[in-house]
Amino acid sequence: MLKATIDADIFKEAIDAISALIPECRLHTDDDGISTRAVDTANVAMIGLSLKKEAFDSYKASKSQLGIDISKMKNIFGMAGKGDLISLEMADNAQKMSVSVHGYNYSITLLDTNTIRKDPNPPTINLPGKIVIKGEDLNNALKAAAVISDKIALGINPKDQTFYLVAEGDTDHIRRDFSKDELVSLTPAEARSLFSLDYLKDMGKVMSKAAEVEIFLGIDHPVRFSFDIAGGNGHVEYLLAPRIEAD
Amino acid sequence: MMRCVECKGKGMCGLPRCPIMSRFHAQVAMKPSSTYQGSSPSVFIGSYGYPDIRGGPLLINDSDNPPDWIRNNLGMDEIVNLRARTIRGNAGLHAVGGSLQEIALSAKPIDVDVYFERPVAFSLNFDGTVAPVGFTGAVKKMDLLGSATVGRAVDRITSDTDIGATDAAIALSSDGVDVYQITKLMTAGLLGKRRKFVPTRWAITAVDDTLSTGLKKEIARFPPVEEIRVFSGEIYGNRIACILVPGDWKYEMIEIWGKQTLWGGEDEVIVQDREGMTKSGYSPISGAYYSARLAVCEYLQSIRRCARVIVIRSVSSEYWAPLGTWVIREATRKAMASPPAHGVSLDAAVHHAVALIGSDRWVPHSTLIPELRTQRTLDHFW
Repeated sequence: MLKATIDADIFKEAIDAISALIPECRLHTDDDGISTRAVDTANVAMIGLSLKKEAFDSYKASKSQLGIDISKMKNIFGMAGKGDLISLEMADNAQKMSVSVHGYNYSITLLDTNTIRKDPNPPTINLPGKIVIKGEDLNNALKAAAVISDKIALGINPKDQTFYLVAEGDTDHIRRDFSKDELVSLTPAEARSLFSLDYLKDMGKVMSKAAEVEIFLGIDHPVRFSFDIAGGNGHVEYLLAPRIEAD
Repeated sequence: MMRCVECKGKGMCGLPRCPIMSRFHAQVAMKPSSTYQGSSPSVFIGSYGYPDIRGGPLLINDSDNPPDWIRNNLGMDEIVNLRARTIRGNAGLHAVGGSLQEIALSAKPIDVDVYFERPVAFSLNFDGTVAPVGFTGAVKKMDLLGSATVGRAVDRITSDTDIGATDAAIALSSDGVDVYQITKLMTAGLLGKRRKFVPTRWAITAVDDTLSTGLKKEIARFPPVEEIRVFSGEIYGNRIACILVPGDWKYEMIEIWGKQTLWGGEDEVIVQDREGMTKSGYSPISGAYYSARLAVCEYLQSIRRCARVIVIRSVSSEYWAPLGTWVIREATRKAMASPPAHGVSLDAAVHHAVALIGSDRWVPHSTLIPELRTQRTLDHFW
């Protein structure tokens, strides 16, 4: 059972965060709110998202799983304007969910949760380096690098206490160093890993709206991005596997 | 500067005639006549002078359908010969447009009576995208003797003026109408809301692109292939090797024109292009990129799997005249229908493709292979 209303902008933000990686997902509902955890088809990136019941205007749900077609949801909420409310309603074990937005009442057929990949285990990787940075700064640096190359190295220089991004194209090169005062905080530790900008570009777009993004880094290890959505009542974690630099 | 392999006779170098195209001169033992009585299997709309374009019926008492040519094992010279005997009528579309639409709608060739201004002239025209045609003649008068045999799906969708051309093409394809018929309908301006005649060479690539973009979205939802597979096939000196790697949809194509081949010239030329879920701009490989992509998408949809795809097309000097992008479409379809090598590692797959193509000089041009080699997956870390 699910009966909830939520501000359209908040729900859109959550859907956008998921759609950056995957076209469909398994949404868990319970007393406290909704959450999902999924990896992309290539097994390279993971998203964990939770939206507390405080993010909703009203919220009542029992423990259950919903198969959501994220791309379809995205198109539906294109209708919603600023300040609109979205209401979601579903009976126990129903195959359909009623969605009302901006005077339109949809009945959306849910995906069979058996056809969606199993939830991955939560990550248990030790990443020693940590940076806290403004979402906008991070996104701008990623966008700049995407002009030059399809991959980017993220690293920490513990000596200078800087966070750096380096991208190497066929002919061009770009480097951006963030000194400690440009960052919110920095935990120095030797770290450097290479990542595909294909993924980072889409994640960056979502993270640009976050006031602060925590970045966890290691050496040739995945990167973890962690940030709040919905004014602190929701949380997103991205995990992205590295590329190993060719010898 | 644009290279010959990228332009393929469009005249981008500024010379009055493409020096490569003008190499082809064929002679046919057919007396130019000023009338034609027989069947018309298809239509042709030129792109010259767009938007003020002209077009007309293709006139030959034979098949116009490339899969038929391959099924009947026609050699390249037989196809060129067949096409050299074909007459392309030419007229203003206000005069013959209605008749052309009848011909395009019909699943079978329609009998026609055509009177030309003067005896038809022989000028065998080759074009990278469209199959060649021998004679052209200005149409004075054209009468349809039969009426169109219209398939049910074709009838339904061409009568619907509220469905956009993209959705119309995809709907026709899922009803089992083949790409060649859909292209005919597109070029004759029978699809979409605001209907227009479309130059045939544009319609061919438009249909390849539209259908495979539609399939791509469907494929993206399927689970990845279980293992690496390597396919190969060859038609008329066009050798296709295709590597499928488990993962989300990515497509890369590498085209190799050997020394002394059609567009290659003095040196071997290699062109590469790739895409993810979206593709921006027109591929430098031109029509062949979209034709091969369609064939691969058709295969992935049939097995309900998603994959990262690398297609390598190597052209030898055996391919002595450009027959149109249907050659690549059919060569790739043939490759995808053959039993693949499977269960190999990425390095072994690349090695296998090198052996199939007979060269490893294309490997450094690939950007997808290094990406696949260097990208770790998450399960590597727990």
